[in-house]
Amino acid sequence: MTSLLIILLLLAGAYLVAVLEAWIANGRLRFATPVLAGIAMLGRESIVPRQPDRIFFETAPVLLLISAILGAMVLPLTPDLITTDLATGALFINAALVYVLVALLMAGWGPDGAYAMIGGWRFLGQLIAYAMLIVMPITAVAMRAESLLTTQIVVSQAGLWNIVYQPLGFGLFFVAAMALAFLPPFDLATANSELASGVEAEYSGVRLAVFRLARLTLVMTLAAATVVFYLGGWQGPWLPPWAWSGLKILAVTAAMLLAGRLMPRIREADLMAWGWMLGIPLALLNIFLVGVLVLVWP
Amino acid sequence: MTTQAFFIGFFGLAAVWFGVVVFRTHSMMRSALALLFSQTALGAMFLGMQAEFLGVLQIMMMATEMSIMAIFMVMFMMDPGGLGEMEMTHQKRLSLVAGFVAFTGAAAVAVLFDWGPVVSVAPDAAQQTADLGLELLGRSMLIFETAGITILTAMIAATAVAILPIEAKTTTNEY
Amino acid sequence: MSIELILALMTGAALFGVGIYGALSQTNLVMIMMGVELILAGAMVNLLAFWRYLHPDVAAGQMFVLIIMTVMALEMAVGFGVAIARFRAKGSVEMEEARELKG
Repeated sequence: MTSLLIILLLLAGAYLVAVLEAWIANGRLRFATPVLAGIAMLGRESIVPRQPDRIFFETAPVLLLISAILGAMVLPLTPDLITTDLATGALFINAALVYVLVALLMAGWGPDGAYAMIGGWRFLGQLIAYAMLIVMPITAVAMRAESLLTTQIVVSQAGLWNIVYQPLGFGLFFVAAMALAFLPPFDLATANSELASGVEAEYSGVRLAVFRLARLTLVMTLAAATVVFYLGGWQGPWLPPWAWSGLKILAVTAAMLLAGRLMPRIREADLMAWGWMLGIPLALLNIFLVGVLVLVWP
Repeated sequence: MTTQAFFIGFFGLAAVWFGVVVFRTHSMMRSALALLFSQTALGAMFLGMQAEFLGVLQIMMMATEMSIMAIFMVMFMMDPGGLGEMEMTHQKRLSLVAGFVAFTGAAAVAVLFDWGPVVSVAPDAAQQTADLGLELLGRSMLIFETAGITILTAMIAATAVAILPIEAKTTTNEY
Repeated sequence: MSIELILALMTGAALFGVGIYGALSQTNLVMIMMGVELILAGAMVNLLAFWRYLHPDVAAGQMFVLIIMTVMALEMAVGFGVAIARFRAKGSVEMEEARELKG
């Protein structure tokens, strides 16, 4: 029952993300557009390219959707509204979101198209840059909570939110989450202007609708993860817990989308260099600082 | 037949089936991803055996590892798409016999040996994770640290082997 | 005797057998590495089964599985380093063409 509710909430969230994205991109706030666009996509012909790897081509959008939903399953929206409070929740979300990479590789290889394939392999390089920056800040968060339970992580921020306690970790995680959701400026896999939509290029009709939905859900999941790990989850005065979760998630989503509008698309080599030469030392420093802080002032 | 036995059997079968697919398909991408799903099935099997931390870790690590395998497969093979039906095997009969003998031997030991009483209750997941952490940074710290140093050394050594020597760099345009 | 332990050990044995077949029969270095990965996976299943059904209270059993995961990663790193060097020198990683390495 809870999982159904979470999936419905994710769908609603995906709709809101679509509205927000269009608002930030065009400056026009239209609530019907995503629905109309979705219906239009369902009505269009779903073309299968010549000589595809049929298994990968069909699996990729579904796998992307499943991985985004699975990631959301361990994130608490209120103390009770969580599907499975796994004892290794903070690790499980990484495990679920790694399959975003697998789905994009499949989507890149499957349709037998040059642009799609370049997009898929580009995302593999992107993963090598951002993967450690997802895991290491979560390590620091788990150190403070002394637990991998996501509910425990939220409870540990009762006194002071992690965004104040470990701002460095928040910055790294935020950027890495944007890279994981291939939002601009990290949209190397689906670069519109360079690759003609990259991995999405050969998809159309129903499959493209699933792909887009999965991407929006992924953004939602990552925003929820940021809220749970750094912004105190459901905690906040006056309003009920679910309202706080919802507001914070929307705010983080808007921040992610807005940040992407202000920057040019990053180069693959630069992303890799910054990820490894700047990001990982900073993440290690963050772990060290949090380790000292936890001992001195938990 | 318990639920646990069912899950172990199911995911075990899936792992072995995907493992066989690895060597039966001609497409390199399918081969690498079949290995990935074989390892993922093993991770699910670990979850079935109530080793939550290791199961999740296995599912996470192998996804990255096998994806990287995939790009190397595509880079180094003459026919990554598998459309040319290239022959990629040698000494087939010997390998089949060796594989079969290895399987029969291991299976015979598994069935014939008396493993003694079986413990049916495992510690709960949070307890296991805590125990594993204490084990890694307590009694087995030396082993753990050695593994860490070894992986660092291997990374440096592999990079050193893989990069182009400086004198070659100055004479060719290859980077 | 429990059916779960036997099932897990049989899976380990089957993965080991498939891995041996792959490592011996394939001509490509990367495919051989896949066979080795399967062999290690078989070992991992066995270790975890022994931990779970014979000694669930000893955390060292889980630690061995972690070490095997490390070994898998190491094998990948070193193998690909060698593969890149070989590909750069000879233009292929086919093992049939690497007979000069044979003593």
